[in-house]
Amino acid sequence: MIEINSLTKRFGKITALNQLNLNVKKGELLGLIGPNGAGKTTAIRIISCILHPDQGQVLVGGYDVFKNPLEIKSMIGYLPEEPNLYERFKAYDLLKYFGELYGVPKDILYPRIDELLELVGMSSRAHHKINTFSKGLRQRIGIARALIHDPEIIIFDEPTMGLDPATAITIRDFIGSMKGEKTIILCTHYMDEADSLSDRVAILNQGRILDMGTPNQLKSKIHGDLILKIDLNGPEKFLVDDFNSIKSLKGTENVFLNGKELNISLKSKEDISDIIEHLNSNIMAINTKEPNLEDVFIQKVSNLQEE
Amino acid sequence: MRYWTISKWELKNTLQSRKFLLIFFFQLTVLVMMVFFFNGFMANIESQEGVGLTPSLNEFASLDVDDPQGIFKKNLNPEILKIGLANNDSSQSLKQGKLNGLLLVQNTSDSINYLSPLQSEILIDYSDPKRSVVRDEVILASNKTASIISQQMIDKIIPNSGNINEPQIQEQTTGESLPMQLIKKIMTAILLFLPLFLFGNLVVDSIVGEKERKTGEILIAMPISRSYIILGKSLAVIMTMAIQVALWIIIMLVAGFSLGNPLLVYLIVVISAVPIVGITTIVAAYAKNFKEAGIGITFAYIGIVGFLIVPALAYIAQQGNNISFSSMTLVIKIFSGESLRWGDIIIPMIFILIISIFSYGSAIWLFKKDEIVFGPRPGIVKLFMDFIGITTIIRKIKGF
Repeated sequence: MIEINSLTKRFGKITALNQLNLNVKKGELLGLIGPNGAGKTTAIRIISCILHPDQGQVLVGGYDVFKNPLEIKSMIGYLPEEPNLYERFKAYDLLKYFGELYGVPKDILYPRIDELLELVGMSSRAHHKINTFSKGLRQRIGIARALIHDPEIIIFDEPTMGLDPATAITIRDFIGSMKGEKTIILCTHYMDEADSLSDRVAILNQGRILDMGTPNQLKSKIHGDLILKIDLNGPEKFLVDDFNSIKSLKGTENVFLNGKELNISLKSKEDISDIIEHLNSNIMAINTKEPNLEDVFIQKVSNLQEE
Repeated sequence: MRYWTISKWELKNTLQSRKFLLIFFFQLTVLVMMVFFFNGFMANIESQEGVGLTPSLNEFASLDVDDPQGIFKKNLNPEILKIGLANNDSSQSLKQGKLNGLLLVQNTSDSINYLSPLQSEILIDYSDPKRSVVRDEVILASNKTASIISQQMIDKIIPNSGNINEPQIQEQTTGESLPMQLIKKIMTAILLFLPLFLFGNLVVDSIVGEKERKTGEILIAMPISRSYIILGKSLAVIMTMAIQVALWIIIMLVAGFSLGNPLLVYLIVVISAVPIVGITTIVAAYAKNFKEAGIGITFAYIGIVGFLIVPALAYIAQQGNNISFSSMTLVIKIFSGESLRWGDIIIPMIFILIISIFSYGSAIWLFKKDEIVFGPRPGIVKLFMDFIGITTIIRKIKGF
């Protein structure tokens, strides 16, 4: 459904996307994760024809972003990171305005507005002005706005960012309910969100895809059965020699230091005692966990930084 | 036709905004007040008395007079001089600066009888800045008195000489004086063109507001080209101006202004709004925030006002039949009831067309640039080089 080949985008001297390659299948939910400034928003803005690419090819539903931007825009429902809506509009009018801009016929538009307001739980606030809404309510209206023309492709940029846990769960459930029906790109900082919702996840950093696969495929690349998380007393005391010696221990797969937190992937629990013995007094707290997407992300990003 | 959707909603929101309506009706109120003031002013200026535009000189200086016969005193101008009777304290008051002058006149009856010169003496303080006014007024009074005495002498020699008819000049006027034309025609034209400069903030709010409130991103994500976004928003502002100009014209007609052909005048003023909104749109498309846009629009409007008014003033001053590119001149010609030639209409319209194409083209070109809408915004020099194609040439030379 979406094919990106050798996509490059520069802002002045900054290269936001560097020869990016990505594809999204029809009906798939692709999670796009990466640190701040990785190029996630730039990538989805180019797919949505908001930004113009400098080089490369982007095909959406067979249309080229250079040649057929209006056709592509009609296919996409885009929810930006900040639900920046027209404050002076009432919720109902806002949906009507965007519905008209998408060219939705009136006989379809009006029932669709009612249906969407019901779906996002905003029917009772339909005739209230946007400037009276909290961020969570605005995000709900933002989602309804993105879906007003019943798009084939939906792009969510950090849809749960800054929301309270209850609202975030509601929105995640809503996105999950569309899985399979729509092609969805979900940009997020929340690894558990990407893990639970995505069919595939792409890790993006410095304008390039570092890795891509199903959450399980990515997690299996950690190579260990479990992760040992150690909070260090003094990370400054943790020297390169310590790093190398732990890495050389039998059963240790990977070692990553993330601030005060040392992550070590191990083959089995039996190997823990050797590490405790080695670090000795530098341990403040210790814990074990199953490898998750966050570990994959940290590993990939750390590897790139080391390079 | 999706740009019409943008225009329709922009206009709807503007007209529903309480803040806008307050400003809109405030402008109308100001116009009504200006019309009343203008009408009152014109009534005065056209009256026989005229209107005093200089500050009043009533009793500007004080003069004590010793004129036993009173023939000199009655010719002094009491509106400028505060005239008093000379007494023993007058010399002292003059020295102390309480008095600006002292006039002593000899007994005039002797002078008249024996045909000897009329003797008078004026005492003034040379350090007093009002002395020259006193001296001038006394000289004027002296000339008047001399004329009267001469007439009295002639009457004694030739009786009934007063019945000889003096030559009389009858004044017949056509047309209006230059100051009248400036006031009537230019002022009326300015009143009509004024609404075009009152809605720059709408353009700014409509375009810069999208950037500042970050709503532009979702608007650009709509299946509508950026050109139509600019054109749609501009059209909404032009429609708002058209409503305001229509109301102003109605008010002016009710107030008794002669506008020649009001419908044609209305059309010309509204068409003139197109390039003005276009130029405002360039500023708004480039500006990062409201403050920048405000500064830019101030400069732009100074230029536009000059472009409109200077040719109009030149036209009135020269009284020629030169064809002007300013639409304000065309409006003034209609006010004057002149028969219009094709050139009078076509030349301003061509200018409006050229400026409109250039301004909207530039605004659209700017708005299509990602770095203008989303940043980092390039400098004006780099943009200008891009605009005239130098950047492309440099890139080609460098091979990328």
